[in-house]
Amino acid sequence: MPTQVLYGTETGNAEMLAEDIAGHIGADVANLADFDPAAFEAGTLYLIVTSTYGDGDLPASAKPFAEKMAAQQPDLSGVRFAVFGMGDSEYPETFNFGGKRIEEMMTAAGAVMVGERVTHDASGPDMADDLALPWADALMALA
Amino acid sequence: MHSIAIIGAGPAGCYCAQALAKALPDARIDILDARPVPYGLIRYGVAPDHQGTKAVIRQFERLFERQGVQFFGDVTLGRDVTLEALREMYDAVVLATGLDQDRKLGVPGDDLPGVLGSGVVTRAWNDAPDSTPPQIGARVVVIGNGNVAVDLVRLLAKTDAECEGSDLTLTLPPVTRIDVVGRSPAEAAKFDPVMLKELGRLGAASIQVHGAEGEGKVIEALATLNGHAPEGARCAVHFHFGWVPEAIEGDTRVTAARFARGAERLSLPCDTVLTAIGFDGSRQEADVEGRIAPGLYTTGWARRGPRGTIPENRADAMQVAATIAADLGPGGKPGRDALAPLVPQAVGYAGWQRIDEAERAAAPEGRVRAKIRTRVAMLALAQRGE
Repeated sequence: MPTQVLYGTETGNAEMLAEDIAGHIGADVANLADFDPAAFEAGTLYLIVTSTYGDGDLPASAKPFAEKMAAQQPDLSGVRFAVFGMGDSEYPETFNFGGKRIEEMMTAAGAVMVGERVTHDASGPDMADDLALPWADALMALA
Repeated sequence: MHSIAIIGAGPAGCYCAQALAKALPDARIDILDARPVPYGLIRYGVAPDHQGTKAVIRQFERLFERQGVQFFGDVTLGRDVTLEALREMYDAVVLATGLDQDRKLGVPGDDLPGVLGSGVVTRAWNDAPDSTPPQIGARVVVIGNGNVAVDLVRLLAKTDAECEGSDLTLTLPPVTRIDVVGRSPAEAAKFDPVMLKELGRLGAASIQVHGAEGEGKVIEALATLNGHAPEGARCAVHFHFGWVPEAIEGDTRVTAARFARGAERLSLPCDTVLTAIGFDGSRQEADVEGRIAPGLYTTGWARRGPRGTIPENRADAMQVAATIAADLGPGGKPGRDALAPLVPQAVGYAGWQRIDEAERAAAPEGRVRAKIRTRVAMLALAQRGE
């Protein structure tokens, strides 16, 4: 199945991880800031990596995407996606809201999530890559 | 082939190197720092209990580990190498030196013992090399309405158990009262609401907010905090707004801080005043795209002043890197080949890795790291095995 990696980033952590994932599975990678929802294709699996910033908000580079999704109301039937959220448990009330928002936005538009949304904790012991690369491998095995 | 030197291995310098490495994969990029260790304010400014924020370091490690960027630590501009010499050696030089001096209050008594700037305190709590643990008493007035003020309050109000997972190794004094005083009304306070909300999780501090009128997310966050009163609280935190500092009182040490709001006066008895009202330092005139002179650039706080968090410095560094990439001529200057013989004592990245490893290995129970606290000890560790 064709696969693309997309990322929303504020400090660059999600960008670096998305590039690592894309390199690992041999897929293209794009910043959500440069991605038009009209470009979503049925039959493609999108791996979306996003952080959370501020008070449970989307990171800066995902905000223009969210605005386009709201304005265009695209029909994403047949589009499959998976979400890797990055957060910081120092802020428990809004931990990983960025990933949650992306999931809600995609699902509301008719896309189908593959697997469970995965979350990484910047204050935890795991390196993001150690969770994300096996996650991507498992998705590729399903796809 | 281009060679580029960045002065300052803090977030501004590292983000600039990252953007340059992306735009110019063949360039040879070197980062110099006066300290023997990299990462500047990420290591010595971000609060020790905000390890998640410090995790951007993982991006910067990649610069040195995979992208060919070289680190020259313990190299001081003007002492070990002059800026003029660097400009001769490199096709482009970027000043990312930040601002590290605390702005003074500028009122009578602001130099009394017991008045401390937030930079001095934050560096000491982060175990900056050769910093001295500040003498903080039981009654503290924090002046300032930004996130640095919140960091100071939170760390002073936390119990040792609440610092679990941090790299704070000093034992902070048992403060019983903290007054946080801002010059502007609450609506105009620069607090990040999410940082305020974090205070609502303090398990041993009560919080009272006085005179926070208006609207907005900061006001909402303050309203949520007001009345926070965990059982057995040992510390009382009070927020006050709209008070202009008039004087710090005391003979041999601070005894009170005095403020004015119109005709009203507020005198807060205290033994310590912590100022968190911004930073100063040497800034150079630059154009809007970050050029100081041909081949010389600036980014980060050194360019814009002490405003903006990590992401804003990232955006700034990316923009300055784009300017540099567009300006570069044919290149061909020797870069590190000329610098390295001039600074044979410089700590390289491998030296930093030895320090890093030693610090992690020395972490006490409940902490992730115990930083090496003197430059001499850092240099001894760095040079071991070389």
